Order: sequence, then C-alpha cells, then structure tokens
Amino acid sequence: MADRKEPKSKYTVDRKTPGAFEGETVTRRRVMVVAGQAAGGVAAAAFVLPSLGFAMGPIFEKQDQPWQSVGKVDEFNDESYVPRTITLVEGIGDAGKSTVYIRKYNPQLDTEPRDEYNKYIAISTLCMHLGCPVRFTAAAQRFICPCHGGVYDIVGKVSGGPPVRPLDRFYTQLEGDAVVIGPRFSVNSELQRFSPRDPGEPLDGVGQYLYPSRPSMRKIEGT
Amino acid sequence: MPKLKLPAPPSNPLTSPKRPGKEYGPSGPLGHAEEAGVTAVDWIDERTSLSGGLRWGMFRKVPKGTNWFYTLGSSTMFAFLSQAVTGVFLAMYYDPSATRAYASIQYINNEVFLGEFVHGMHRWGSSVMVILIFLHMGRTFFFGAYKYPRELNWVIGVALLVMTMTMSFSGYLLPFDQRSYWATIVGVNINGTGPLVGPYLSEFLRAGPYFGATTLSRFYAIHMLMVPGAIAALMGFHLYLVAKLGTTAPPWVKAEAPEKLREDKVTVDQ
Amino acid sequence: MNKQEKEQYLRDYGTLKSQGKPFFPYAVAKDGAMAIVVMAVIIAMAIVLGAELGPKADPTSTTYTPRPEWYFFFLFELLKVIKPPALVPLATIGVPTICLILLFLLPFYDRGPERRPERRPIATTAGIFVVCAIGYLTYLGAAAGPPTEIDIPIPANISSQGPEAVTNFKAGSAVVAQSGCAACHQFGENGNSGPGPALTNIGARLPAQAIQRTLINPSAPMPSFSALSEESPEQFAQMVGFLAALK
Repeated sequence: MADRKEPKSKYTVDRKTPGAFEGETVTRRRVMVVAGQAAGGVAAAAFVLPSLGFAMGPIFEKQDQPWQSVGKVDEFNDESYVPRTITLVEGIGDAGKSTVYIRKYNPQLDTEPRDEYNKYIAISTLCMHLGCPVRFTAAAQRFICPCHGGVYDIVGKVSGGPPVRPLDRFYTQLEGDAVVIGPRFSVNSELQRFSPRDPGEPLDGVGQYLYPSRPSMRKIEGT
Repeated sequence: MPKLKLPAPPSNPLTSPKRPGKEYGPSGPLGHAEEAGVTAVDWIDERTSLSGGLRWGMFRKVPKGTNWFYTLGSSTMFAFLSQAVTGVFLAMYYDPSATRAYASIQYINNEVFLGEFVHGMHRWGSSVMVILIFLHMGRTFFFGAYKYPRELNWVIGVALLVMTMTMSFSGYLLPFDQRSYWATIVGVNINGTGPLVGPYLSEFLRAGPYFGATTLSRFYAIHMLMVPGAIAALMGFHLYLVAKLGTTAPPWVKAEAPEKLREDKVTVDQ
Repeated sequence: MNKQEKEQYLRDYGTLKSQGKPFFPYAVAKDGAMAIVVMAVIIAMAIVLGAELGPKADPTSTTYTPRPEWYFFFLFELLKVIKPPALVPLATIGVPTICLILLFLLPFYDRGPERRPERRPIATTAGIFVVCAIGYLTYLGAAAGPPTEIDIPIPANISSQGPEAVTNFKAGSAVVAQSGCAACHQFGENGNSGPGPALTNIGARLPAQAIQRTLINPSAPMPSFSALSEESPEQFAQMVGFLAALK
C-alpha cells in the first residue's frame, strides 16, 4: 500500500497507460469524457442562448418617443392642471395611452431653473410608489393615489405616504402656439432631471446607482 | 455412428396453463372481450414493464392513522389538472393582444356555449388551488412532515407554491379589464424595486419601458407554457418522492412492534 | 437529528407502514372523495359567482382604485402598513424574499426529531403567528375602502333632526371624499391611517369653529381649503358640518 501514497505523475507514459507517448498528459478516456460533456453543453447552449437573447432583446432596444401636440397655449394656465391624453405606445389602441396633467410654469411655485423644456410643466399620472393612477384634487391642491396612500403637492413633490420620489414629468416645448410633449423623465426631491426610472425606485442619495437607468429610455442629453 | 433418436419436442412451451375455471377457453362475447383486453395490456406490459412501477406506486402501504388531512395534496393536484384542462380549452378562444384580448373574453363569456361556466371554473379554480396548497403546506408544517427524510420534498413543495402564485399573478392580466391592467402594473413595478437587477427585470416582464404590444403575449406564454410545464415536472418529482419515502403518519400515532416480534424479544432477553 | 434518531425514525416508520393499508384502494378512495368535493366547490363557485368581467383596461383613468385578487391582499396591505419611503424596497422585495428563504430552508434549520406540534412550541407558535398575521392582513386588505369614497353610517342625532340634516350630512360626505381628505385621514374603514390623524370622531374632539379654522389655516403639510371656502361657501359649510357631526 506504500506505492499508493506516491504522487501520481501527470504524464501518461509514467503511468504506464497503453499507447501513451512522451509528454502526453491526458488519457483518451478523459478526452472522450470532456468532449462528450462539451458537445452536450454546446448543443444546449445553441438553443438556450439565442432564445434568451430573443426574449431579452427589448431591454436593450432604444424606444422612440415622438413629440406630440397636446393643445394650444391658451388652453393652459399657471394655477391649476389640465388633463390631456397622450400616446406612449403606438399601435395598441387605448392600452398605449396615458393621462398627463399640464400647467404653465409658475415662478411662485416652480423652483427649478427655466429652460426650453419646462415652459409648461407636464406631470405623469403614475404614482411613484408602485404605479397606480394618481388624480389631481383641486380642492386640496394635491395629487392623491388610491392604492397605498401616496400624496403629492401641487408641483408633484411627495407630501405624504410611501412614494419614493416626486411624480415623473415629460419634456414640453412650444411649436408655434401649440404645446408639444416629448419623452418622460424622472426627478429627485430637488427636481433635478434623471433618465426615466420605474415607480418605486428612489433617486436621492445612492438610489440613482442602485436603480440604474436603462438603455431603452434616456433623458435628453444635457438637461 | 449410430444415430440417436432426438427426444420429442415438448408440446408448445409458449402456451400458458389454462386459467382455472376457463378450461374451454373464453365463453361468449364478454369472455372474448375480456381476453382481448388482457392481451392488449399484456402486449403493452411486455414492451414497457409498466406494471412493476404501477404496483410499486399503487400497492405501497400508507402508514397507520392516515386520515383526511392526507387528501389535501392530491386535491391540490386535482385542482391543477382541472386548471390545465379548462385553460387549454379557454386558449382556443382567447386572443392575447392588447387590442382584442378584452373582446375575446367578452366573446367567451357571452357567446360561446358554456363559455362563462368554463371561464368561471378556471377563475375560481385558481382560488381553490391557492387555498388547497396553503392548507397542504399547513398540514405538512404542523405535522412536522418536512423533517428527515423528506427535506427535499418540502423544498420542491415551496417551489410549487411560488409557481402557483406566479400562475395566479400572470393569469389575471389576461382578461385585460381594469383590475387586470393595474394589478399587473403594480406587480411589475414591485419587481422593479429590487436593487440593481430590478429595473431590468421589470423591463423584461413588460418587454420594454412601457406596457406595450407584446406584454400581454409575454404574460400569456409565461402563464400557459413556462410555469405550467415547470409545475407539472416538479409535481411529478414531488409525487415520486412521496411514493418512494412514503407519506408520514400523524405525529401522535405511536409505533408499536407487532405482537409476534415482541414475544421474540422477550425470549431473547431471558 | 443525529444518526441514531434517524434510524429510530426509520424503524418506527417501517413498523407503522407495515401496519397500514395499501394505498390503492384505501387512500385512493379518500383522495377520490376529496377530489369530488373540490370539483363540486369549483363548479358551484363558477355557477353562482360566474366570471364577471370589469370595465376594459384603461391606462388613462385617474379615478380607478386598483385592488388585487384576494389572495394577494396580505401583500397589498403590507405595502400600506410600511409607510416610510426609504423602506419601500423592504416591503416590496425584502420582506417577501426573506420569508420565502426562511420557508425554503425550514427543514435545514429545524432539525429536531420531534414531530408532535405540542412538543415543538417554537415552530408551532411561529406557524400560528404567521397564519394569524396573514389572515389579519388579508382582512385589513379586504376591508380597506378606496380613499375617494367615504361611507360612514348616518349618526342617530343627525337622522333624528329630519331629512334636511341627512341631506347635508351626505353632501358633506361627498365633498370630503372628492376633496381627497381620505388620502391622509381615516374615516371609519375608508381612508389612510396617516400622515394625518384619524377623523372618525373628530367632532367629539373639536367644535365646528375649530374645524373651520383648521381647514382654512392648517399646519403643514395639510393644504388650506380657503380657496374652497371663497369659491363655494356652501360646499365648505357642508364639509365643516359633516366633520363636526362625526362623533
């Protein structure tokens, strides 16, 4: 039993494997085992990987957000919101639409600097807790979510309940005397613009790194 | 060389001995039919040896004290079978597109013969299955039936519970009414709140940043192909382990050695 | 369980099994009877409750109150109970994931040989606690009315004052509901328990004048209703009257 404890040579010649030649380290049996497993793995990968890529493709596809007109300038005021329906996804009828609340920029309410994209403020109606539909209640000057009790003030900042960030917004521009609405963007509690995130994803502190933006939707560069 | 006479071959060795009481072969059409059935089963068994497995699964003993609590597992499986069958037939009329799904469900409910009934069975069957699977898990928990040697079966059972909840969740988007739509939005966003991978996961479920043209078909594929396939496979493994390890006895039933063995023990002690 | 306990269990189990009956037909008969009961229940529910279809999905709606299927009520209520925004991921992903991991690994940390529920006090207590917690959360989720509706029974002292008082009470209730008060305050079973205090019996705590003052001059973050009092004093009066009548 003493020879058992001797370290085995890695060369097949030293192990007296039949048909071995000088310097060879792998037996034929081992080659066949590895080859058999590799062939099975390659064959399985050949159908698994393309299918997975196929299913995950939409994550990496950039979505176009065309600008669309929502009405004339004189339809909106700077004190209260006017609801407008916009199309987020083409081709699926009502299921691709959404409601947006629009009002004119009001220096007494809005603290963020004015630029070409916020002459009109367009606020999304998805609650930033988990995406239920919020409604603007004029008497209370609040956006109220019916699901888990989220409440937002008139500029969309959280004033109560579990939402993690202010209501999302849309870029707006003026085209002649028409107000047009563009892509969505998210804001943190200081109303700085970020690439759009899903509801329930905070943007303050480390939030913007824990919940990265996705290739399918980005904010407009430099805003 | 003198030629030795070969012994006479035995009279046809392949004929089996006559069944008792049937010395004159099958009598009457009923007898012939029975014989035909036996032959067909024999033919299959000769080529598959299924009877051994069947005997192993069906004639194993269940321990003393087995009571009605032990039917919860099989009734969960039965509810699943009912869901599978009604689901397959609902799929014949259902159209998983955002523009036509609601109308196709309305068509099932209002126009198709027994449409609302089968739809109702599928809908309430899901509630019944969820209740049964929770009761089954409660029984397993309070009877301590997850302990050695059945740990693995508990893990499979929890996986089945998760998949059943996935089925209920992915299923209620399909009618595409208000409740379906908003519950799905909330559910997908719940997945999105997982740090780092969450945003990509919710995007994967929706097939894009918004609820889009292929979201519904994605949920449909998950609901009727991916998860049920996995449930069926795991259920088979779950049942195999149940048959192999045996169902537990209720924990309060005491094991008493049979009389004979006890006597033997006494003699050895003396 | 150590090796000895494992062998003891297998021995006892072997004895019990040898004294049992064959699976077919004894257990199968019970399973079959139970399957018939299950199918009878499903069919009865399908016939009695049908498969009602709600209004068509409408993403542009801002008035719909989403509610999940009953078996997700406990998760839904969990999201309502955990209020601070920083804890949202905990409520959505954290708690369910932890519970699921604990459930998956149960046989690996509960390794004692004892199986009788009354001799496993920790496991049995934990199990009963979980069942009660899920049951209670499910009940809360089922009872939660939408914050855009308030249904409080008309108090006896109002209905005794005649039909005009009742009409005013109802009108006030509608104004309060439409004004979104229930987003922050609780009214009986409607509304959210916070950030504002429950108003179920505010009339017993504050006189009508104090309520009116608070509505016009509230402390942050509650909004002022002075705009309402100027634009439609009648509605404002109904609102104050309704709140003062909640005793």
